[in-house]
Formats: sequence, structure tokens, C-alpha cells
Amino acid sequence: MPAQSPTISRRKVLHWTAAAATLPLAVRPSLAGESLLRAGITGFSVINTLDPAKASLLSEYYVIWAAFNSLLKFDSNMQITGDLAETFRVIDSTTLEFKLRSGVKFHDGSKLTSDDVKFSLERLADEAIASPNRAKVAAIADIRILDPDRLQIITRAPFAPLLTYLTNTRTGTQIVPYKTLKTAGDEAFGKKPIGTGAYVVKQWNSNESVELAAFPEYFQPGTDRIERVLMPLIPEESSGTTALLGGQIDLTSTAPFADVPGLRQKPTLRVYTTSGLNTRYIALNNRKPPFDDVHFRRALSMAFDRNVLVKAVVFGEGTVSPGLLPPALQPRADLPLPEAMTFNPERARGELAKSRYQSGTEATVLIWGSNWWRRIGELFVAQTNQVLGTKLSLQVGDPNAVFARLRAGDFQAAVWGWLGLVDPDEYLGEMLGKGAFRNYQGYENPSFEELLAQGRAELDTARRRQIYHEAEQVMLADMPLIPCFCSNVHNLATSRLSGFEQLPYSNYGDQFANLKLT
Amino acid sequence: MGVIGGVTTRLIWYSQRFTGALLLAVMGAGLIFFAMHAAPGDPALAALGESATPEAIAAFRRHWHLDDPVPLQFLWWLASAFRGRFGESLTIASGTPVAALIAARLPNTIFIGLYALLLAVLTSIAAGTIAALRRGRNADVIATSTAIFGISMPDFWLSYMLIYAFALGAGWFPAYGFVQPQVSLAAAIHSGTLPALAIAAPMAASFTRILRACLIEELQKDHVRVARSFGYGKLFVFVHFVFRNALIPYITVIGLQIRYIFGGTVIIERIFGVPGIGSLMVDAGFARDFPVVQACALAFLLCVLVVNLTVDAICTALNPRRTGR
Repeated sequence: MPAQSPTISRRKVLHWTAAAATLPLAVRPSLAGESLLRAGITGFSVINTLDPAKASLLSEYYVIWAAFNSLLKFDSNMQITGDLAETFRVIDSTTLEFKLRSGVKFHDGSKLTSDDVKFSLERLADEAIASPNRAKVAAIADIRILDPDRLQIITRAPFAPLLTYLTNTRTGTQIVPYKTLKTAGDEAFGKKPIGTGAYVVKQWNSNESVELAAFPEYFQPGTDRIERVLMPLIPEESSGTTALLGGQIDLTSTAPFADVPGLRQKPTLRVYTTSGLNTRYIALNNRKPPFDDVHFRRALSMAFDRNVLVKAVVFGEGTVSPGLLPPALQPRADLPLPEAMTFNPERARGELAKSRYQSGTEATVLIWGSNWWRRIGELFVAQTNQVLGTKLSLQVGDPNAVFARLRAGDFQAAVWGWLGLVDPDEYLGEMLGKGAFRNYQGYENPSFEELLAQGRAELDTARRRQIYHEAEQVMLADMPLIPCFCSNVHNLATSRLSGFEQLPYSNYGDQFANLKLT
Repeated sequence: MGVIGGVTTRLIWYSQRFTGALLLAVMGAGLIFFAMHAAPGDPALAALGESATPEAIAAFRRHWHLDDPVPLQFLWWLASAFRGRFGESLTIASGTPVAALIAARLPNTIFIGLYALLLAVLTSIAAGTIAALRRGRNADVIATSTAIFGISMPDFWLSYMLIYAFALGAGWFPAYGFVQPQVSLAAAIHSGTLPALAIAAPMAASFTRILRACLIEELQKDHVRVARSFGYGKLFVFVHFVFRNALIPYITVIGLQIRYIFGGTVIIERIFGVPGIGSLMVDAGFARDFPVVQACALAFLLCVLVVNLTVDAICTALNPRRTGR
């Protein structure tokens, strides 16, 4: 019987050549047989710092959530539970007591103590650090250390948002090691952070990627944890999708809205979707004409259809919330859309008739960012001009320039929004409170302030939500900004990945310890 | 004496070109510097975040000398640049020396650029020559039509078509990501093929058209007909009298197109995940990272000037009359 000679087709040769050439790509990070997760940071090209006290970008928190813990965290039902705190209790309306887990270690081997917690929170409040989250701990009057594992946080007045602000979210209250940070200095720590999290930051290549390694002494029990995580920065969301489809990454932090419906049909992918904790709105400068007239602002709010925005801008991947607060923070799920936010050309023209500014009024709306952000402004201007006969126009800028103009009050109107904010006070208090750092509108109303004060002092969640709802109605009557919609949060993953639990604040790195890749 | 005179003339010609290039580099750097500082936006906001206090912003600006008069800032920058120091990144890689950032990115851009150039030159020489020699026939029509198609295609569209066909479809190349040549040359060639093709396609189309036109023009010249009538072989005449003369405009066009490799490939870098200098500059621009933008722009400028000098030198070697002798 003649020996059968193996046949080599040209296609096979090409495949082998391609496989050989990709060897360094695929094998380099796991030469020792380590398990590897490639979790893309999509839609971002920059990480400025990995110091929780100085971080402000979501891309920075994606990593920080993996490397650090806070006293508290949100569970899968978005209920606050202990993270580094084993237990916590409300002593009185201004005092919280925490008992730390025993045996928690930082990545450098040092043991977590109450000193580290006190230092972390006081550092956040330090003006010299210039933390974007400084206001979150401004209510703290004292941090009393009872023993190395127990401490009390005392606020100047009852301050309900504090529990939320102590969670491992976009808060900056992640716990850092006192002694290590003092030795290393702020700048070095921001580049090579040390936390208690499930993953250690091994390498950070500016503008390119962050590499993490599993922390063997992590306090949460778990087996078969993925040993290494590579987090490439992928500025174009669509490139993140093609990288996932091509097998170059396993998980994305976001997805392009337009692609989501199609991607749901792909059997090799999992598309995670949830209604997000975010808001998109038109910021109006209440100090400048024509937006210094409440009737003009109300007229604009009723002169465009928010459902059109959701369909055309985010391809149905969003919700028109009955206010500035996203649906998850509203007191009830079935609240109707308020009249002031309902598209009604007749009532809009009626409001315009009461205004000092009539049809033909000119104003500029600043737009920026990627296409879908700009589309919000384009549709808003087109609809309101058509309904009211106004002459609103668009001016395109880059994000930094628009942000600088907003902060300086050098604008009339701008498309704007915030992502990943978890407490009602971050929306109504920080975006509309008197003198608050996100209140670019210059809005102030004593009744609104009174309700905010009540909301901050109310510790019962249901009653608190009702108070913020009332504050929102006051705001909607004044319409200092025009709420548009809140968008869904998406993550894309290969179907080989399991264990990812998506939360509405765009969580990411905190999930790496739970993931399994088959 | 004649030889010495010729060498002197060439030296003078090269030194004039070099001095001119250096002056252009300084002027270009100045223009970029002043334009960056005149643009709205503030690096302090990008670095310190949304709730930075006025005191923190003032301290940041003082630390980085951003409040000094802009001409003075430029002179400081220029003095440091001449000593090879380009400062530190303000925002996108806070505190990292800019030279290190450029050193990490520039080789990737140059690698992909040279790879694309090689593909474009090889394709265009083959297609342009066939089209010129088979003028009016099917081969010419195919080459010319493909060239028009290549020039007309937007690069981002072509990039996605290449990804769908060769990465997601055939699975021959990665859809995203680039292995740096210093890590593995084979992997760099493999992962760089699709981005290089996306850059090469419009260049190859334009090179093909110019080479075809030049070859046809040369083929019709009297000295070519005379050479053929003397009995020289077709190939000999083509190589020595046609191709060589057609190379001068061809190389000039290549020199002009190389600017595209350095400055126009940002979108390609973004789509394919190539950590190149173009995307670094764009990110730095958005974050108002002045020193990084300035250094990237200078690197672009120097690359273009070096290319222009090289093109001039090659064309002069092909036609020594260009030195004015």
C-alpha cells in the first residue's frame, strides 16, 4: 500500500504563517501558562492618573476599581454593603461607625488599619490635593480612630449621601496605604498605585494600556482567578467591537450605540445592557440672554421631542427620564413625563409669547465630542427652531475648549452630561445647587436649596427620594437646564466569558475577580 | 580642478538646502507653539479635573510656567530643544519625559509608513510599467481603473473593508492591535499588514498614475526612438533611457506623499490600534498637552524635511544639472 503523503494547501500555509506571526501577540502575556483577560478600555485614549484622590475620568476608575477597595460598595441589587468594612452602623444622625475586615493587606504587604482609612479620607479633603471629589467628604468634621480595626466618621450635620460617597464607585474614597504613600509621594503613587484590590497594577504605558496581575493575598476568597489582565486603551468604540469580533480582546467597557442591535444577533458575543446612571442635557447659562428668561427656557423644553433624540441619537438605547435624575433614582418607576418636558408645540409657543425673547431670537449652542453627542445638539436646534422660529445655531468645539468655556461662564447653551453618578445629590446638588462645582448654569433658588438640605439630612432612602423628586419639580418649573435622556450602559464580551455582573454606574474593573474565561 | 569645483558646488547646494530646512523647522515650531497657545482651552483643566480649585489651577500654571509671556516660553522651549530636551508631558502622561513618549511611538509610525511605502512603490512600479507598455489595452484599463478606485476610496472605509475581508472574514490578520517591531519583527509585519495596506492603497494609485504618464511621455521622446533605431534592445532602452528619466517626477511625487504617512494616518492608527505618533499628537492636542504636541509636530516637520532633502538628493543624483552646474 503506497504511503499517503500529507497534502499542504496554500490556505493552510497562510494560516500557519499567520499563526506563527501572531504568536508573540497571543502568547507573550501568558508565557508561563497564566490565564489572561484582555479587557479593552473603549472610547478613551487617556488615563492621567491612577491615584483615586486625583482621578476624574471614567477610564481611570475602570482600573482603580480593580486595584482598590473602599469602605463600602454596591451589591448586585445596588444596595450598599460592606467592602473593606466588615460591618457598619449608624450611631446617630451625624456618626457612622465602621469595623474593618481583619487581615486585609495592601499590595505591598502592609496591613490595612484605621489609620489608612482616616488618612485616605482626610487626604481627599485636603485642598492641596485638589481632588475633583473633595466636595464629597467636605461634610466630615472628624474621623475618630477607636482601635486599629474600628473608626467613626462624624459629619458636621446629618449627611445622607455620605454612605454612597464611601462606596467603591466614582467617588475617590478608595483606601490608600498611609505609610507607602507618604514614602512614595503623590506623583509616584499616581503612576504606581498600591491598593487592597484583587489586582495589582504591574505596568501602565501612557496612552496605550494598563497591565494587571492577580493579587494572591486578596481578602475575598476565590479560586481560579484570572491571573493577568491586559487593558488596552481603544479610543474608537467601533475599533473595540472589531477587536472583540476578531478575537484580540475579550471584553469591552462600552459599545457603539448604533451597533448594539446587530451585535445582539451574534452567537459568539454577549451584549450586557442596563439602564445607566447618567444624564444628558442642554446646559443653559441662566445669567445670559436669552436664557435668563424662564419662559424662554420652558418654551425650548417643550419644543422638541425627547423620544426622537433617543431613537435618532442612541438608536433606542436610552430612556426619557421624567427629570434630570435617571429612572433608577426616581421614587417610582411609573412616573409620567412632566408637562414641562413633554413635546407640545402649542404650549411651547404659548410660553414663548410670555417671554421677553420672541421668534427670531439668536443664540449659540456649543457641541463637541463624537458624532452622537453632536447629534443631540443638531436635533435639538433643528426642532426648536422649527417649532418656535428661533435662530439657534451650533458651534463645534473640542471637549477641553467647551469645558473651559462652561467653567468660565463663557457660553449661552451647550450639550453636556455626566456618567456614573450614583447619588441623587450628585445630580441635583452638584449640577444645580447654589455655587456647586457642576452648576455651570448659575442656577439658584432658595426653595430648591431648602429641599436639597432636607434631602441631605434624610437618612431614610424612600423619604429621601421623595424629597429629591420634589426638588426636581421645583427645578423643572425654573428649567435652568433642559434634561434630554439617559442612555443605556453596554458591555460586550466574548461568549467564552462568564461571571460579569453589570451595574448601572458603568462598573468594570471591580468585576475582574469574578470572571471566568473558558 | 573641475572635479573639485563640482564637489564644492554640490556641498554649497546641500548646505543651502540644510540651512533652509533648519530655518523652516524653527519657523514651523514657532508657528505651532503660538497657535497652540492661542487656541482656547487650558491644560490645567485637563490635568486637574472638573472641580479643581482656582488655587490649584494657579499652582499648576505656575509650576509649568504657563503664565510666562508666550514668546519667552517659546525661547525657553527652543533652548531646551536644541539641547535635546523637550520637557515633560503636562496631561496625557503627566510628568513623563516627552522624548520618551516620542521615542516609544515614532518607530511604530516609521515602521508602518515604510511598510506602506514599500507596498505602494512595488505595486505602482509593476502596475505603472505594465499600463505604460500596454497602453490602451486591457492591462492598462485595469491598472488605470484600479488606480482611480484607489484614489477615490476614503481611508477609513478601506480600513474597515480590509478588516471585514482579511481579519473577521478570512482570519489571516488581527482586526486590532500592533506588535512593535522591537518585540517581534515577524509579528510586526503580520499585525502591520492591514494598516500598511490601508495607507498604501491611495498612495499606490497615485504613484501608478504618475509613473504611467511619465513613462508614456518618455517612450515617445526622440532619443528613445533613436536608441531603438541603433539596435539597442527593448529592455535596455526602457531601463536606461525611459525608466530612469521617468523616475525624477515619480520620486518627487513619492516625497510629497510621504507627508501623508506622517500626518494623515491618525484615523488608520485609531482603527487598527497602532500606537503611533499621529494619535499621540491628537490626544495631546485635545488634552492641551503643549510640550507633547510641540514635540510631535517638530518630529513630523523634521521627518518631512529629511524626506524632502533625500528626494532632492536622489533627483540631483539622477540629474546633476539640478545643482546649477
